[in-house]
Amino acid sequence: MWKVTWRGLIAHKLRFLLTAVSVVLGVAFVSGTLVFTDTVRKSFDELFASVYDGTDAYVRSTNNLESDFGPAQRERISDSLVPQVQGVDGVAAAEGQLQVQRAQYLDRKGKPIGDPGSGSPAFGFNWQTVKALNPYTLVPYLGEASRAPAAANEVVMDLGTAKEAGFKIGDTVTILFTNEKLPRDEFQVVGVTKFGDADRPLGATIALFTLAETQRVNATPGRLDGVLATSDPGISQAGLVDRIEQVITEKDVQVITGDKLIKERQSQIQKNLSFFTTFLLIFAGISLFVGSFIIVNTFSIVITQRTRELALLRALGAAGRQVRSSVLIEAGLVGLFSSIVGVGLGIALALGLRALLGLAGIDVPTTALVVQPATIVIALALGVIVTFAAAVLPARRAARIAPMEALRAAATESRHLGRRTAIGLGVLVIGIGVLAVGLFADGGVEAVGAGVVATFIGVAILAPVIARPVGRILGAPLTRLRGMPGTLARENAVRNPRRTASTAAALMIGVALVGLIFIFASSIKQSLSGQIDRAFKADLVVLAGSGPGSSFSPAVGEAVAKVPGVELANPLRFGPFEAAGKGSFLVSSDPKTLDRIFDIDPQQGDITTLGPNQIAVSTKVLDDNGWTLGQQIRTKFPVGGNQKMTIGAVYGFGQKEGLSDYFLSLPAFDKRFTEIADNQLYISLDPGVKAKEVSPAIKKALKEFPGTELKDQSGLKEQFESQIDQLLGLIFALLALAIMIALLGIMNTLMLSIVERTREIGLLRAVGMTRRQVRTAVRWESIIVAVFGALLGISLGIFFGWAMVRALRDQGFTDFVVPVGQLVTVVIVAAVAGVVTAAYPARRAARFDVLDAISTE
Amino acid sequence: MTMPAPATTALAARAVGASKIYGEGEAEVRALDTISVDFSAQQFTAIMGPSGSGKSTLLHCLAGLDRVTSGQVYIGDVEISACNEKQLTLIRRDRIGFIFQSFNLIPTLNAAENITLPMALAGRKPDQSWMDSIVQTLRIGDRLTHRPSELSGGQQQRVAVARALVSRPDLIFADEPTGNLDSRASAEILTFMRAAVDDLGQTIVMVTHDPGAASYADRVVFLADGKIVDEMLEPTAEGVLDRLKQFGA
Repeated sequence: MWKVTWRGLIAHKLRFLLTAVSVVLGVAFVSGTLVFTDTVRKSFDELFASVYDGTDAYVRSTNNLESDFGPAQRERISDSLVPQVQGVDGVAAAEGQLQVQRAQYLDRKGKPIGDPGSGSPAFGFNWQTVKALNPYTLVPYLGEASRAPAAANEVVMDLGTAKEAGFKIGDTVTILFTNEKLPRDEFQVVGVTKFGDADRPLGATIALFTLAETQRVNATPGRLDGVLATSDPGISQAGLVDRIEQVITEKDVQVITGDKLIKERQSQIQKNLSFFTTFLLIFAGISLFVGSFIIVNTFSIVITQRTRELALLRALGAAGRQVRSSVLIEAGLVGLFSSIVGVGLGIALALGLRALLGLAGIDVPTTALVVQPATIVIALALGVIVTFAAAVLPARRAARIAPMEALRAAATESRHLGRRTAIGLGVLVIGIGVLAVGLFADGGVEAVGAGVVATFIGVAILAPVIARPVGRILGAPLTRLRGMPGTLARENAVRNPRRTASTAAALMIGVALVGLIFIFASSIKQSLSGQIDRAFKADLVVLAGSGPGSSFSPAVGEAVAKVPGVELANPLRFGPFEAAGKGSFLVSSDPKTLDRIFDIDPQQGDITTLGPNQIAVSTKVLDDNGWTLGQQIRTKFPVGGNQKMTIGAVYGFGQKEGLSDYFLSLPAFDKRFTEIADNQLYISLDPGVKAKEVSPAIKKALKEFPGTELKDQSGLKEQFESQIDQLLGLIFALLALAIMIALLGIMNTLMLSIVERTREIGLLRAVGMTRRQVRTAVRWESIIVAVFGALLGISLGIFFGWAMVRALRDQGFTDFVVPVGQLVTVVIVAAVAGVVTAAYPARRAARFDVLDAISTE
Repeated sequence: MTMPAPATTALAARAVGASKIYGEGEAEVRALDTISVDFSAQQFTAIMGPSGSGKSTLLHCLAGLDRVTSGQVYIGDVEISACNEKQLTLIRRDRIGFIFQSFNLIPTLNAAENITLPMALAGRKPDQSWMDSIVQTLRIGDRLTHRPSELSGGQQQRVAVARALVSRPDLIFADEPTGNLDSRASAEILTFMRAAVDDLGQTIVMVTHDPGAASYADRVVFLADGKIVDEMLEPTAEGVLDRLKQFGA
């Protein structure tokens, strides 16, 4: 049987090529993602290992808030700890460390360098004078020597920024801060630095100041993030930590080893990266899932076509089991071959991704690509298993071929539709059930994913049942439109419902996800827009770029408030915290004028008099937690850690309405967070003043603060919409692969079907069908299959979209919108894709030699 | 050798010095060797010969399914050996009817649609009374809505005959039309073909290796080694068999 298997594979290598392509692409996606993220992770690991290479002990506050709603924030410590640590026996040197919240360089035209909006980091640190603690290297630049910053208004700049913006040593550069008192200042560039090999590590811009200057620009005098210490020779890190701990008496301060610090930073990055990895792997999984449909289909068709050959084998004494093994081994070989190619392609993909990041200005420190054995094993195993599993059903069918079928005509495939319906409905019901558990009963992302996959499979099983009637309906106008070729296209599309259905099902998956995303995005937009309409009372708003963490100095508000015609400018600050042990985020503003910018639907208490130890909450969380006005609740903040706060007011418009469930006054906020800056600034105008009249003056005031933008209500909506559209673009780019694989599947099926119908096409040509008519028939058949798949997909997409929007109603998804225009476009695009996909098969069919074709067995 | 046709009738098709050569040099095979032959309108001609004599190649070249290497082939006045692929297709569609040995029908179309297929491809409507009379003659009226898989072999061939007749082609080519049928069904089909010539004025050229089938024809042309070696008018099965024996077939 081995020989037969091998021969079969060689003989049908062309028909397996497209099957292989679908596996290759899926596996390449998986391995490329793994190699790339492993490589990036290793780069970061090495980066942090080198940053803290000389650090043996680290002193810092124990108060830390890690949150899903933003970067971790840790309370700062007093710089009086530095001499204490320096005095510890065994400490060779100790030095304070402080990061500036943001240090945004401006170029010579006054524009921010990098893209502050998209969150490209603008780092500022103090220059470590102790060599062992300093990861930066001063380099000579354009013939000038670099030196460390030694005085106020001196800065050392990363080489990448110097090159990009054309700064020389000795030049003056303006840097923006989020500091209220010092929104911007001018500095003399005294040095240029590299970080390891990188001119500009990871796309960040870097400004290095003296420690005193760092404290000044950050408005944190006397404070530090931590103290770095390096030990005398012969003392272990743990030993050093012990010695320091004995000296330090301050409350809420801890000492950790340098190794632990490195590990913490590495695992933090790992956490951020793993989100990214998971995200990419989901799309890789989708591609493989789609690919598996194509494998099932190809093997099924090939086995149908080989019925005679397999029956002959059976007649010659091969057992059913042997036939099955032969097919499975064939699948295994195809899987293995494609997976090997896929892994190779994946590595190339990872290289490409890294190069792409490099072009985008994100300099990943040069590390060789990390191809872990696990990556290869996982990718190979996935490819082989998917191919193998997909071939199990066709193989079973092959084993059931009776020896006598060799003599019978091609079998019809419409048997067992009753059983199929029952199984399909069963899987569908289970899928929807699991999905419902995932969405509405906190079953988690895994349940949602499993439910979606099961729903897809259920529909795919059911699809053959409806393929014939739906295909007939779709193809109904074809006879009138295209005459006999149209009729033939329609009849060919429905002649083998199982084949049509599984081909269409592969496309269904991608289209359903696209449809879901469209619905999701439209619903978000509509919900946001509704929220803005309901709650937004301000006339204008100032934003800083589109990034979630983008913020600006509170000085912006002061400047804007001075503009004539502006009644008041009230900022919004966001911060992560914990309420009753659950991570959440809160918003802070001036409660006295809050009603001028937002309708928050006050319910109980008086929010305008909210005190420094009081918190206002939405009715929803009040009810959910069974709280009452005036009650003390458990909270945790970056500064001060765990603490009680009193509910001082209750309001109606919480997160569900697009605001937040928790609210603090500005003084209360500033006391509890280390990162203090305005995220948005809402402007209310004097009565009778039109936004149009004041805008130019406000814009002029904002010139001092590059990166900020003035928007009105519709501008704010547009801003949100463009953010959503950007995300949409990314997701569609990733889904494109799955759709491409599905289209390859249609092409594959068409090719196989055409080969199967060689004689028929020969006959048609003999009795006078022109080549053009043959092409038309193939093309329209493809269109019917593609549109059938797209319609299945759109229907499922609408269902998924509806379910998810409903499930997220509490998160502010108040509206369920079906963007009919976009969905119709998807179907039209699918039809066009059907034409493109059919081009090659149609040409092949039209070029069959008539004589050869009619004499084919 | 030129075969003169009966003087009074027009020519439906003819070949003039037609050769079909496969391969080159040592491997050269002459499937047709400078054949000249005329086929009169409203006549039923059978082409016979041993396997490899070139009878099928001759039929294919006459029908515009294959091209001669040299010489000319005419359908009526049109030199099809000078036509391009597209023109050939249209000639096959509009002027020629086909009956093959097997796989004559498109499985996704019912009998009626198969019958009118060439006309549908041309975007023309069949003449309904003509269609009715053919269907009636062939006794397939109750089978028109059936798919080929629901028809017997004899019924399938009758549908094929109906298809060949319905567009009133200049010429019908039949390639072993009874090769897959039992003797009763064969006799039926051949009787219909005979009637199509006698009663409906059609012209048929049929390749066969069955002397019994050939006996339905007006004229039998014998081929051997790509050449026409003999012909017989008003053939009988016995006469054809005797003639074939002379060739050692």
